[in-house]
Amino acid sequence: MTKYILRRLGASFLVLLGGSLLLYVLTINSDDPLKDLRESNADNREYLIQQRTEFMGLDQPWYVRYWDWLTGVSKCVTLNCDLGTNRNGVDVGSLLGNAASSTLRLVVLATVLAIVIGIVVGILTAIRQYSGFDYSVTFLAFLFFSLPVFWVAVLLKEFAGIQFNNWMQEPTFSPVQIIITALVLALILSAVLGGDWKRRAATAGVTLVFVASAMTYFSAVEWFRRPLLGFGFVAIVGIAAAVGSTTLFVGFKNRRVLYSTLATVAAGLVSYFAFRGVIEEPTWPVLIGLFIMSLVVGGLIGWFMGGYSRKPAAALSAFVGGTMALLTAADMAVSHWASFLSLKPRPISTIGSQTPNFSGGFWESLLDVGAQIILPTIVLTLISVASYTRYTRSSMLEVMNQDYIRTARSKGLSERVVIVKHGFRNALIPITTIVAFDFAGLIGGAVITEKVFGWKGMGELFETGLRTVDPNPVMAFFLVTGTAAILMNLLADLAYAALDPRIRR
Amino acid sequence: MSNSQTPGSDSYSIEAEIPANTKTYSQGQLVFRRFVRHKGAMASLIVLLFITLTAITSIGVGPLPGWWDKDYTRATAVLDGGRPTIGFFSLGEHPFGQDTIGKDYFALVMRGTQISLLVAVTVGVLSTIIGTIIGAVAGYMRGWIESILMRLTDLVIVIPLLALAAVIAKAASDQGVFVLALVLAIVTWTGLARLVRGEVLSLREREFVAAARAVGTSPARIIFKHILPNTIGVIIVSATLSIASAILLETSLSYLGFGVQSPDVSLGLLISQYQNAFLTRPWLFWFPGIMILLIALSINFIGDGLRDAFDPRQNRSKD
Amino acid sequence: MTSPQSRVPVASEPVLEFDNLDVKFGTEFGTVHAVKGISIHVQPGEVLALVGESGSGKSVTSMTALGLLPSNARIGGDIHVIDNQVTSMDDRQLRRMRGNDVAMVFQEPMTALNPVLMIGKQLTESLELHDVAHGREADARAVELLRMVGIPEPERRVKQFPHELSGGQRQRVVIAMALACDPRVIIADEPTTALDVTVQAEILDLLRSLKEKLNTGILLITHNMGVVADMADRVAVMFKGNIVEEGTADEVLNRPQHEYTKRLLAAVPHLGRGPQQFGFAQKAVEPLRPGQSLALDVQNLVVEYQRVGKTPFRAVDDVSFSVAPGEIVGLVGESGSGKSTIARCSLGLIPAHSGTVNILGEDLHSIDRKTEKALRKRVGVVFQDPASSLNPRFPIGDCIAEPLVVHKVGNRASQLARVEELLDAVELPRNVINRYPHELSGGQRQRVSIARALVLDPEFLVADEPTSALDVSVQAQVLKMFLALQERYQFACIFVSHDLAVIDMLAHRVVVLESGAIVEQGTRQQVLGNPQQEYTKRLIAAAPVPEPGEQRRRREERYRLLAQLGDERTELKLN
Repeated sequence: MTKYILRRLGASFLVLLGGSLLLYVLTINSDDPLKDLRESNADNREYLIQQRTEFMGLDQPWYVRYWDWLTGVSKCVTLNCDLGTNRNGVDVGSLLGNAASSTLRLVVLATVLAIVIGIVVGILTAIRQYSGFDYSVTFLAFLFFSLPVFWVAVLLKEFAGIQFNNWMQEPTFSPVQIIITALVLALILSAVLGGDWKRRAATAGVTLVFVASAMTYFSAVEWFRRPLLGFGFVAIVGIAAAVGSTTLFVGFKNRRVLYSTLATVAAGLVSYFAFRGVIEEPTWPVLIGLFIMSLVVGGLIGWFMGGYSRKPAAALSAFVGGTMALLTAADMAVSHWASFLSLKPRPISTIGSQTPNFSGGFWESLLDVGAQIILPTIVLTLISVASYTRYTRSSMLEVMNQDYIRTARSKGLSERVVIVKHGFRNALIPITTIVAFDFAGLIGGAVITEKVFGWKGMGELFETGLRTVDPNPVMAFFLVTGTAAILMNLLADLAYAALDPRIRR
Repeated sequence: MSNSQTPGSDSYSIEAEIPANTKTYSQGQLVFRRFVRHKGAMASLIVLLFITLTAITSIGVGPLPGWWDKDYTRATAVLDGGRPTIGFFSLGEHPFGQDTIGKDYFALVMRGTQISLLVAVTVGVLSTIIGTIIGAVAGYMRGWIESILMRLTDLVIVIPLLALAAVIAKAASDQGVFVLALVLAIVTWTGLARLVRGEVLSLREREFVAAARAVGTSPARIIFKHILPNTIGVIIVSATLSIASAILLETSLSYLGFGVQSPDVSLGLLISQYQNAFLTRPWLFWFPGIMILLIALSINFIGDGLRDAFDPRQNRSKD
Repeated sequence: MTSPQSRVPVASEPVLEFDNLDVKFGTEFGTVHAVKGISIHVQPGEVLALVGESGSGKSVTSMTALGLLPSNARIGGDIHVIDNQVTSMDDRQLRRMRGNDVAMVFQEPMTALNPVLMIGKQLTESLELHDVAHGREADARAVELLRMVGIPEPERRVKQFPHELSGGQRQRVVIAMALACDPRVIIADEPTTALDVTVQAEILDLLRSLKEKLNTGILLITHNMGVVADMADRVAVMFKGNIVEEGTADEVLNRPQHEYTKRLLAAVPHLGRGPQQFGFAQKAVEPLRPGQSLALDVQNLVVEYQRVGKTPFRAVDDVSFSVAPGEIVGLVGESGSGKSTIARCSLGLIPAHSGTVNILGEDLHSIDRKTEKALRKRVGVVFQDPASSLNPRFPIGDCIAEPLVVHKVGNRASQLARVEELLDAVELPRNVINRYPHELSGGQRQRVSIARALVLDPEFLVADEPTSALDVSVQAQVLKMFLALQERYQFACIFVSHDLAVIDMLAHRVVVLESGAIVEQGTRQQVLGNPQQEYTKRLIAAAPVPEPGEQRRRREERYRLLAQLGDERTELKLN
């Protein structure tokens, strides 16, 4: 296996090298880099032309320029990258740092969301094949496929962003809004959960009442200006996660696992108070450390309480521990919403990846970055969630026709176990391969999204570089996207090996 | 034993008799029948034909005049703030309104649709041809030919599609839309090449191919007579979908300014030019966007219908 | 009721009973009536064999007992498992019944197990589900179950994945899974069809000891009359949704009453009866005339498959044999014996690693392209799979004419005449010329394959398992036709098969292969009548014959042989 992966990496590296040469040559020949100077009427035109020619090495043949760039990049091996300068003399490496972090944040978030949503919806549509729900999702998937990125981005900016900000001034729902939202949600949920008409009616009724009363309550107390989750919410969601994950993966009857996940929830609730002071104004290392700690503690609780099913208990308890940590953090973030609003009354500004010179504390800054990333993430997620949904659906349908699914049913397993334990894992195997492909495509989509939302990201780096026939920024863009694509390929390979024992060696 | 006995003629044979006079269907005819039954695909086909015909006949092509009397290059006086006049039963003076300097927006959008469709279809055809040939040769030949072709494919894949297209398109700008289409074809054939290679790899293990080789059939005849006709489903579906993605790619490039260049018009360019007018003249933004959406959506649905028609495995049973 | 095999307890209640079962499927092309009101029952400790060919509805019948038919099925009549009426159960009751009261053993052990879950996990799953055992207790029980079905080193096996086990072992795992909750009745749907004949004998032994030691009732669904003779207490013969005949194994197999049963039995090739059973007298092969070369001469052939990152796999190891003009040589062996690889290599489809292959006096692997093409004109081939051996885009006429077109023989009219001539020869109506392969049944397509192979009047034919995907009655028709054609055209042939009875019917000489090497070769009478090698003896001993009395004798003989060779006989190991 290691050998296989090393060979794949070697091949990818050569492809990356070839790609860089191709792109370099294409870029420097894409136009005349002195065009703007030649057309200018400045007195020192000749001097400027000569200066730029010298600075960018325009009098050198292409292979010398490429070689210079390559030797600079090869210093990355000693962690001393030299990506050159752009034509104004700014170091590309320093430009890249910010650009790459904001773009990758966007793309990774969108990819993760698209994978999770796409796979869940894909499985649901496969289970409810040829239902109204299936047809609606299919139609929406095609709609999302067909959306021009820039167009939908502008629409979102106008409608979601600006309208949301307006609504935030006085966040209340009118009775009509409440009724319509509750009705729509009730219909969707009853279609997703399915069952005979009695069950559907019950689902719809409960949802309708719940959503309507929740919205009325939130509206009445202006919750959206001063939101709070609170201890009760964290406790309820934590217990739901414990019971839900236990039921889904090992069955409710397995008391060992159930008790260990519930114990993890209890431990999480204790630390909810214990660490309050620490996370009031934390730093990233502290938060990440606490998150890892809650995973470990959860795992340990599961390991010691798991008894005969030690492994699933440890895994599920670690999952619940992580959930508790995230819930606690979310609670903290939400409680800072009011102070965030006082700093930034219109929460979503449609330009930039964060508000310049923002003065808030850790949580306020986090909310700022979060508010800025919402819209671009929605745009990118919409587009790739469609392909994941379709792909998961067909993969799942294929798997559910296999003989071993029939074997599983003939044992008397419930449909839930058949789908989660036998169907789902097999259906995931082919999906891993499209993740890598899709990631590269998303970076392309990100270029446009960033442009619409005015992010100073990799897209901007690339676009300006290309417009000015300046190879170094373009190559820096390629370096990051190419490496990211290869890393995603590697991850996909590893996931493939982890999921499919047949190719492990 | 009696040689005269035809199989299936006695009542206790499990083999069905071959009906003498019923109509026989080739696979192509079966596919056609299944496609016609796919409601979404048929509706989409009608929508697409309607859009195409309107775009071609309204403002005409080249020297041939169309039935729409306004020219997309000429500005006239701005009426009613340039608002669209289209109603349910009438087009009015300027159905899609006028742009900021008074050009008829219907004519502009129709011209943009023409160009975008032209580019997309050309890309679809060209990239399908390139992808099919490279994929088929790589899959059938194996060995070093396969290695070279597949590394070439990887090379094109590793550079983000939009970036590669932008770079080449910039190099080839001011050369007209056909060159742009060629550029897009050069960067979009990789998906189909991989797909076709996969199909060919599995088909070449099938026994009818082994039988053809055993008889002494030449590699060219095996590829073109025996293997490729059996991948026609994959190819047609993929070609359809590549037209849809070419529409989106072309409009994206034009939006970035690396695609169709002014004074020519494309749907993406229109949106790019008028996106800042969204609050004052939203129709300048809506019409080209909806046009792109309609075209891409109907082509995607047609592709889905074709996929169902070619691969009836997951077809519904009447229940 | 004189058969000593049927020890049916007289007064016991049936564990599985179908009463007037009727199943219809609604499909795209209208309603399909799969099962038309049949009534059968299985007693505890009894094997009822449900026999039929494809499309008879036997598998559909079995699936109704578990309530596992797809939603477009409409089921009429009653199904009882022990005392419960299956058709009126809700989902929860059905699930409790599955695995607990009725368990199922499927045909394809390669695909019946989940490839991504460990063997142990798949076993403990049903134990925990039906509250038989939990956690470590369940793990221990899983090991115990694997030991029961005779899997060596069960402690190690529970941690392995299905792909690490052989087909026979996987089928044992499937049986262990079925046994997990001590079901009262097991439905075995073609449990040995995908297995080699020696493995089949072991699995049948295992199933037999199951009914003897646990008093389990078994509904055995099969198309193989040998398996029926070996296993069944009672037999029900199914044809197109109806039971046409039912009785003890002795009654049905030895004194069939119904026309269909008679035909079916007559179609089964019987090992040891030779070509005479279908009314053919085998002609002796004429000795080589001076100047005439052998049809096929294989000397020290080695074929290797390259594997990434591993040493090459040697599929054929130092094999030498020859085929004289007009002679049929049977290549016999189990899966992995290299028989198909030899066939493909002698067609030049796979390169030889070393050794020589001479066809009609020419070395296929070293001649130039022109001679090669001329040589290929004199060679024909028939493959195994009727579903993939014809190009789905070609009408039948073009399929058959393709070799004529490739070698540019004659014009359009003469090619058509030749195609019609061959269609007559393979007993297909001439109107199939314009039809497509998907409109024909498997047997009809295999006839087309044979016609295509013979269209150039070949002197040498390679037949790679041409009948193994066909039903018995269809296989008989195709084999008869094949023999008649060979008599008429006198081509030499290598006939690859895993079925000794088929080889016994048509071969002049037999080559027995095991893991790529020749074990034994000689005339048919020598090899099949008086085998010298241990492997051949095992192979012949394991092949079942469709007559209960004879099969019982053969089984005792096989046990003696196994004891003599120091092997254990397979049975359930209970503590």
